[in-house]
Amino acid sequence: MVMAAKQGGEHMPSTGRYLDQEKVRKALDAAQEFGAQYAEVRVMAITESTVAMRDGVLERAIPGQDLGLTLRILADGAWGVHSTTDLASLPDQIESTTRLAKAVAKRRSAKDSPIGLADVPVIQDEQHWRSVLDVRHTELDTKMELMNDLYRGASGHDEVVSVRTGWSDEHLHTELMTSEGMDRVWSFQRSLIHGMVTARRDGEVVSYRTRHGGQGGLEVIQACDLVNLGEEAQRAAIRLLAAERAPSGKMPLIADRDLTGVYIHEALGHPCEADLVAAGDSCLDGKLGHQIGNEIVTVVDDPTMMGGYGAYPVDDEGVNTREKVLIKNGVLTEYLNHRETAHHFDVDPNGGARAQDGLHHPLVRMSNTMIQGGHHADMDELMEDIEYGVYACGTRGGQVDTGRGSFQFAAQEAWLIENGELTRPLKDVSVSGLTLQILKNVDGLTRDAMLASPGFCGKGQTVPVGDGGPVMRIREALVG
Amino acid sequence: MLPDGAEDRLLANAKLLADVCRASGVDQWDLVGFQSYGHELDIEAGKITMAGGGGEGGFGVRVVDGGRFGFAHLVDVSGAERAVQQAVAIAKKSPSVNGFELPSNQAAVDVPGRFDRHLLDVHPEDMLEQADAILSEVASLDSRAVVTGGGVGLSATAACFMNSEGILASGMTTSHGVGVQVSIDVDGELTSSYQGASSRTKLETVPDCVGRAVHWAQITQQPIEVPSEPVDTPVLMTSEGFAPLFSMVVPPAMTGEKMVRHESFWSEKLGQPVMNETLSILDDGLLPGGMSSGSRDAEGVPRRRTTLVEHGRLATMLWSTRDAAQQVAEGRVDAAASTGSAVGGGHQSPPSTGCTELFLTSTQTAASWDGLLERMGHGFVVNSVMGAHTANPSSGDFSVTTSSILKVEDGEVVGALKQAGLSGNLAKAMNGDVHLGDHVRRQGSYSSGSMHLPDVLLTGGLRVNPA
Repeated sequence: MVMAAKQGGEHMPSTGRYLDQEKVRKALDAAQEFGAQYAEVRVMAITESTVAMRDGVLERAIPGQDLGLTLRILADGAWGVHSTTDLASLPDQIESTTRLAKAVAKRRSAKDSPIGLADVPVIQDEQHWRSVLDVRHTELDTKMELMNDLYRGASGHDEVVSVRTGWSDEHLHTELMTSEGMDRVWSFQRSLIHGMVTARRDGEVVSYRTRHGGQGGLEVIQACDLVNLGEEAQRAAIRLLAAERAPSGKMPLIADRDLTGVYIHEALGHPCEADLVAAGDSCLDGKLGHQIGNEIVTVVDDPTMMGGYGAYPVDDEGVNTREKVLIKNGVLTEYLNHRETAHHFDVDPNGGARAQDGLHHPLVRMSNTMIQGGHHADMDELMEDIEYGVYACGTRGGQVDTGRGSFQFAAQEAWLIENGELTRPLKDVSVSGLTLQILKNVDGLTRDAMLASPGFCGKGQTVPVGDGGPVMRIREALVG
Repeated sequence: MLPDGAEDRLLANAKLLADVCRASGVDQWDLVGFQSYGHELDIEAGKITMAGGGGEGGFGVRVVDGGRFGFAHLVDVSGAERAVQQAVAIAKKSPSVNGFELPSNQAAVDVPGRFDRHLLDVHPEDMLEQADAILSEVASLDSRAVVTGGGVGLSATAACFMNSEGILASGMTTSHGVGVQVSIDVDGELTSSYQGASSRTKLETVPDCVGRAVHWAQITQQPIEVPSEPVDTPVLMTSEGFAPLFSMVVPPAMTGEKMVRHESFWSEKLGQPVMNETLSILDDGLLPGGMSSGSRDAEGVPRRRTTLVEHGRLATMLWSTRDAAQQVAEGRVDAAASTGSAVGGGHQSPPSTGCTELFLTSTQTAASWDGLLERMGHGFVVNSVMGAHTANPSSGDFSVTTSSILKVEDGEVVGALKQAGLSGNLAKAMNGDVHLGDHVRRQGSYSSGSMHLPDVLLTGGLRVNPA
C-alpha cells in the first residue's frame, strides 16, 4: 500500500500526506531497477462541490472527493503511464509500465530522437496557498444565499423565462515524488459562481451567461456584487431579444476584455504550446524571435497571478511557476514548455505542465493569459475613427486549428459601430482569422489590462484558465 | 485487461452501499457504480509518443425522501456512510417534487453487441502494432502526410445499477477507438483533418477514418482565391461537419423540460411541422452495439425506440422520471412520464435527460455523394467546423469557421478555400429543402448520445463568408 491512512478524511490537514513516502521511494527505485531513466508518482485529491439552482430553487448539490494517481515512467526515451483510483495497485504496475515504455521506444525510427527531460531543481517542500475562507468549510446555505443574490438581480422581468445559477468550488491537493528525489506537496483552491438568463419574446429565445470566480475560497465570491452581476446579465438578455443578426464581412472590430482574453488564448496561446510546436502542429513553429504582431502587442502567461482562475503555485511536474512573456512588442519570445519540450528546444522549463486531475498526465497548458495594456485612454478613443465596424463583448467560447493558425471565437452580444458611435445591438457575432495575420492587425489597446471572466480550456483534458487584457481594436477582422 | 471478477467485486461493493442507504431510513434510493480499465496510445509528430493504461471507477448515490432528492459520489465504499449522510442532508434542503418517485422494476430487453470478449485479449503490444499499421497506411497513401495527433484507445467497463424498488442490473461493455489528425505541409501551406472511429467491438486495424483524414488533408491543399464577400448558398455538409452543429442544437431542443419551459425553439410546436416533411428523427435506445444504448436508462427505466420527429412533425419529447414529475408538479404540463431518456454523467453526477442513439432519416431516396453534388449545383462542401460549441441551442443560431471547405460549381468541386465563416439558423435550415446522403456514419455529440448522420445537403438559410 502506498496510501496513508488519511484517505477520504473530510478535513485532512493541508500538511498531511496521502502518499506513504517510504513505500513510494521503494517503488521509484524499483522502476529504475527495471530500467527506467525517470519515474514519478503524482497523486491528486480534489475536494469539490457543485450546486445548481433554477429560479431560486435548489436543483442539485453534489459534494465529492476524487482521488487519482498517475505513475509516469520514462524508459529508453519513451513514456509509459499508468493512472488509477486504486492506489494500492501502484507497486504492481511499476514493471509493466516500464515494459510498456520500452515497447514504445523500440518502435522509434532512427530519424526520431528519444524523449528527454530538461533538468530542473530537485525540491522537497510544501506550498499551500491558503484561502481566507476555506471552501471546505462553506455551508450549502451560504452558497445558496449568494446564488440567490445573483438570481434576484437577473430575474424580475416579464420576458425572462428562467434564471439558472451555478456554483463550483474545489480544494486541490497534489503530491509529487520523482526518482530524481523531488518530493513536493502543494494545495490551493478555486471558486466560481455563474448564471444564465434565458429570455423569450414572440417565439424568439435568447440566453446570456455570466461568471465570476478565481483562485481562492469563499472570499472570491463574496467580493463580487452579485446582484449587480445578475442585473447586467438580465439587461444583456433583454437587449439580445431586440438585436439584429450581425453583418458579415471584413471590418474593424473592437473587443471587450472578455473577448480580448479569448482571442489571445485561442489565436496565440494555443499555438505557443510547445508540445504542439514540437509535433509540427503549430503555425508558430520556427517563429521564435520573429515579429509576428504589431509592436503594441505584448502577451504574458502567468500562473503566479494570484486570484486568476488559472493560477497555481507549482506545475504538475514540480517546476516552480513564473510569468512567461510570449510576445514582447510583437516579437515571439517564448513558448509554453514542460520538461519534455524544454529538453526538445534546449531551454529551461517554464512551469507550463498541467494535468486535469490525478488520473491524467501533464500536458503543456496556459494559465492566466493576457495582452498587456496599450496607450489609448478608453473605448471611445478606439472607436472614434471607425466608420463602420463592430464592438463585441462577452464570450461564448472559441476554438483554434493550431497547425493552420486559424481560429474562431464568438461574442455574447455586440453593437454596430457607425461613424464612431455605437448604434444598433447585434447578436450571434463570431470572429475568425489567421493568427499570423490578425496579430499584426491589432492597432489599438486601452491602458487598463486586467483578467476578465474565468474560463475553461479543453485539449483532451479540461483545465481552468484566466484570460484578459485591455479593450482591443483590430483594424480588420472577419466577422460572421 | 479486465481483472477477473471485476463485475462481481463492483456488485459486492454496490450491495454494501445499498445496505447503508437502507439503514439511512430514506423513502427511496438508487445507485450507480462503474469500474473501467483501459489502454491508450498517443501519436504525435508521426510517431507513438506514449503508452498508458489504468483503471478508475466510483459510485454515485441518490436518495429520495418526500419527493426531495440528494446526491453524492465516492470512490471507495469505505466512505459510504459519509456519502449517504451528505446526500440525505442535501435532500433536506431540496424542494419537494410532488409525485417524484423512483421507477419500479419493469422488464427490460437485452441489447446485444455492447461487449466484445475479443477486446479483452488485446494487449498493449497489439495496440502498438495497430498504431504502426495506421502510421504506415498514412505514409503509403501520401508520403507528405503526417499523423500530428490522435491515438488508439481500448477500454472495458463493469457497470451496475440498483435501486430501492428492486431493480438490479449489471453488465460489461467494451470500446475501441481510433482518432487521427493528419497534416500535409507543402511549402509552409499546411492542411489537416481530424477523423475518428469508435465501436463497442474490435475495429479494423486501419479503420476508414484514416483514409478519410488523408483525403481531406489532400483535397484542401492549394486553396483557390475567391472574393471575400458573404453569400447565401446551399451547403453540403459531410456527416463529420454536420454532427457538431446538429448535436449542439437539436438534442437539447427535444428535452421535455426545455420544451415546457419555453427554452426550446420547438416549444409549443408539438404535433406541428418543425422540419422538412421528408425528415424524421429517431432516438434508438435499443440499438445493438450502440455506444449509448442499453437495456435501461440511468434511472433504471427500460430504454426504448422513440420517434421524436415524424415526417417533419414534432411527435414527442424526451423525459426522465424526475424532470417529468417536476414539470407536472409545477404545472407546466398536465401529464408527462419517463421515456427512458435519463442519461448519466458517470458516477459523479445524478441523471439528467438526453438522447441515446439519434438517427436523422428521410423518406426520399438517399443520394450518393456525386448525386448530392449534382443536386446542389453551385455551393460549398463543409467537412469540419470550428466553434460548434458556440452555437446557441436556445435559438438554433450559429456562426462558425471552417478551414475544410470546397467550392462547387455545376456539381463539380473546383477547389478548396483557405478559410470561411459559416452562419445561419440550423432549425430554419432543416425546415427548408434538405437532402440526405446514403452513407450514415456514427459521430460523437456535444450534448448526449451518438449521432447517426449521413452527409446532409441544406439548400437554404446558410451563409458562407470566405476569408
